[in-house]
Amino acid sequence: MRGRRKGIFQRGLVVVAPVAALVVALAPVYWMITISLKTEVDQFASPPKWFAFTPTLQHYYDAFVTRSFGQYLLTSAIVAVVSTACALTIGTAAAYALTRFRLPYGLERRLSLWILSTRMFPAIVTAVPLFLMMRDLRLLNTKASLIIVYTAFNLPFVVWMMRGFFAEVPRDLEEAALVDGDSRLGALVRVILPLVSPGLAATAVFCLIVSWNEFLFALVLTQTDAAMTLPVGIAGRVTQYEIKWGVMSAAGVVAMMPILVFALAMQRYLVRGLSLGAVKG
Amino acid sequence: MSIKFQNVTKKFADVLVVDDLSLEINDGEFVVLLGPSGCGKTTTLRMLAGLETVTSGDIYVHGQRVNDVPTQQRDLAMVFQSYALYPHMSIAENIGYPLRVRKVGRDERENQVARVAKLLKIEQLLERKPRQLSGGERQRVALARAIVREPRAYLMDEPLSNLDARLRVQMRGELKRLQHELRTTTIYVTHDQAEAMTLASRVAVMNKGRLQQFDTPLNIYNHPSNRFVAEFVGSPSMNFIEGKIERGMFLSDAIRFPVAKPDASVSMGIRPEHVHVLTQPQDGTIPASVYVTELMGNETFVFLSVGNHRMIARAPADFRAEVESTVWLRLEPGKAHFFAKPTSTDYTE
Repeated sequence: MRGRRKGIFQRGLVVVAPVAALVVALAPVYWMITISLKTEVDQFASPPKWFAFTPTLQHYYDAFVTRSFGQYLLTSAIVAVVSTACALTIGTAAAYALTRFRLPYGLERRLSLWILSTRMFPAIVTAVPLFLMMRDLRLLNTKASLIIVYTAFNLPFVVWMMRGFFAEVPRDLEEAALVDGDSRLGALVRVILPLVSPGLAATAVFCLIVSWNEFLFALVLTQTDAAMTLPVGIAGRVTQYEIKWGVMSAAGVVAMMPILVFALAMQRYLVRGLSLGAVKG
Repeated sequence: MSIKFQNVTKKFADVLVVDDLSLEINDGEFVVLLGPSGCGKTTTLRMLAGLETVTSGDIYVHGQRVNDVPTQQRDLAMVFQSYALYPHMSIAENIGYPLRVRKVGRDERENQVARVAKLLKIEQLLERKPRQLSGGERQRVALARAIVREPRAYLMDEPLSNLDARLRVQMRGELKRLQHELRTTTIYVTHDQAEAMTLASRVAVMNKGRLQQFDTPLNIYNHPSNRFVAEFVGSPSMNFIEGKIERGMFLSDAIRFPVAKPDASVSMGIRPEHVHVLTQPQDGTIPASVYVTELMGNETFVFLSVGNHRMIARAPADFRAEVESTVWLRLEPGKAHFFAKPTSTDYTE
């Protein structure tokens, strides 16, 4: 009897634990989605209306038609995609060089650590210097400023991720490509990159998420509607007179979508990318 | 094409890997670099391929100094120990890769791939990926990728070492046949002396970065130039007895026989097939005790204790002797090798 009771308890836990985790993780998201669909009266109803309310798309209309959230969305997309592309290109090339070439004075090791060390201080420390630099470069309130900053911010991450993936690719393969008559670059493009593509995809997803969600630098470096990203635009609805919960939630739901879709599309690569090398394939 | 190493030295940091190697390989030759692991044979091959730089000395291919020629311009083909097949490409794409990077047109490429696939009997595998292939099949694909073009030479780095014993012998034969048909200079690295003996037109035996002997397999076997070569080539290994030569006699604690050599302190080496085991004493035989016998099917290896020494003899398959029983050995004095100590250069020749 005791054995069986224990069995039930364990099996119960197997179901309860993930469900609990899911509820905790998804509750805020659920709350945001429902608020974005509720009238302002329903939003503040007490006790809260969990399910029974009349949905409205008014907030979405307000956010993207009467206000400039469409503009913010576009800015966010451009900044995230371009900075991710830049960080991947530069970072992948750097990682390849650092894994495949022996530099004098063990520089390949030291450089890797220096690159990593740029992530070891709080980001806010650089906010003021970056603001001054961008002001002098006349790049305040431009997408370019954010692209530069996000690229710089993501680079160490890309270098370290890709270093790991490159190290997994047997040296023989590119040596074979060289002996077969290919150039270094040709071997990289035709042989090495296809093999690390799961890693590239995983790294790209992380860069995109970081750039997409980034708030601090975007707040410091952009103040105009034309250059503002979604997170800053959403936060801007908290004013001293009112807090537009509905508009903010509607924009939040839309902001969530691209990353969600992208991550789902890349899921196969994400899992393979993050576990690359764990099992010899 | 002919290949020449001239006083080639390679150092990794302070470690001397290849030490003053000079080697001339003629056009169409099949040369095997033979030696234990860490002897510098693979490094030698990689320097020729341009995958390692040369610390000092020169390498020539067809009379052209190639030290500073990048790998992709040396026009050599290499078969790697790991086969190094491109995992994301089909077998046909793998074989066609050297042609693709040379901008050979698609039709011509497909023709060439089909030609070598037929030659190596892998036509039915062309659509598959490397991971779907067995070791032997992968080995053939690696070979196919090397022979799809006409390089100046083939470099092979232990290409058979990942195959099981039966397949290895089979592929060995096919390699030899293939080289006979293609007549392209081939340099083959191995630590397996059986491969070296069977494949090579000449064998270069290396140890600790130095070339020990460069000669035909038969000469390597019959006239080893030093004790290392004598010991490394041949299976079971040559027997060595420490002793001295005094007034025309080789003397050790248990063995003595006449030799026409000047007096010296020597190691006497004799191959197991030149040690005959007899069950009855005869004139000039040496008593020994049987340590153990190993029946190989077609012959028997007899491990013997002779005085303080261990020896191995080859006996017929029907030879039987109890462990610890006494037998008598007859050595063929004419087949003995003498290596002076401590310089260990042969002194029979």
